Amino acid sequence: MKLEELRKIRERAEAEMRLRTGQARVKIVVGMGTSGIAAGARQVLRAILDEVARRNLRDVIVTQTGEKGLAAKEPIVEVHEPGRVTIYGEVDEATARRIVAEHVVNGRVLEDHLVELREVPA
Amino acid sequence: MVEDLAFHLADLLENALRAGAKFVEVELAREGGTLLIRVEDDGVGMDEEQLRRASDPFFTTKPGRRIGLGLAFLRQTAEELGGHFQIQSKLGRGTRVEARLPWDHPDRPPLGDLPGTLLPILVTSPVEFRLIFRDHKNTWALDTREVKKALGSVSLSDPQVLSFLEREMREALAAFGWKEEG
Repeated sequence: MKLEELRKIRERAEAEMRLRTGQARVKIVVGMGTSGIAAGARQVLRAILDEVARRNLRDVIVTQTGEKGLAAKEPIVEVHEPGRVTIYGEVDEATARRIVAEHVVNGRVLEDHLVELREVPA
Repeated sequence: MVEDLAFHLADLLENALRAGAKFVEVELAREGGTLLIRVEDDGVGMDEEQLRRASDPFFTTKPGRRIGLGLAFLRQTAEELGGHFQIQSKLGRGTRVEARLPWDHPDRPPLGDLPGTLLPILVTSPVEFRLIFRDHKNTWALDTREVKKALGSVSLSDPQVLSFLEREMREALAAFGWKEEG
């Protein structure tokens, strides 16, 4: 593993972060509990990472979480932004890519897979 | 459906995550004619009763338990090919799963897409991983603790970090001569 190359990536990324004067704009969380994985969450996670990489979205963080008690709606994807959390259900690979393209990039909520839109203190 | 070994490994990783592990070590090695898969975690572990039933496909997978179908499949695969399967666990200490398969057996599942299957889990999970590929000559390791240290505040799921890790892993697999379908 060429750790030196990682340090270069870090320097570039931190310089970009300073330009944006902020932290990650969006956090995408994929539910990876047993029922989520059975419903295809692994493919969804992979599609999101791929779409974020393809668009080189460097102010987006992608993470995973366990069971959320929404098993019937799995796979679940949450989009956390300042002021609001959007929860999508029954997300497949194509929808996952649309979440990145339409919601994360263009700020448009996908009504057809929306489970809940929650206002949170920014 | 024949699951490839990358999926088996992903199942074992998810088991470890559900067991509340903080650190998971994953090894894939070629030792002579043997393919070794080993996953060790420091999660909640299992008592004797759970351990006895751990690779029973009919054992329920309630949230909070660490058992999935992955173990049953892996055990079945190992036994059908005349290999070995072993699971050791201590309550509160963690679990170690080890499978040995004959590398050249015609029915041995292919390796599958290891980077594409494992990296999404590695870069998005809060747990630390050490992933090891090894043969009789060389060892390649990815330790998320080292990577995070080198990265500072930059996320592991950052597109450039992810593509770097994927490239590194594909190069390592090519150097070992391990192919997706092989």
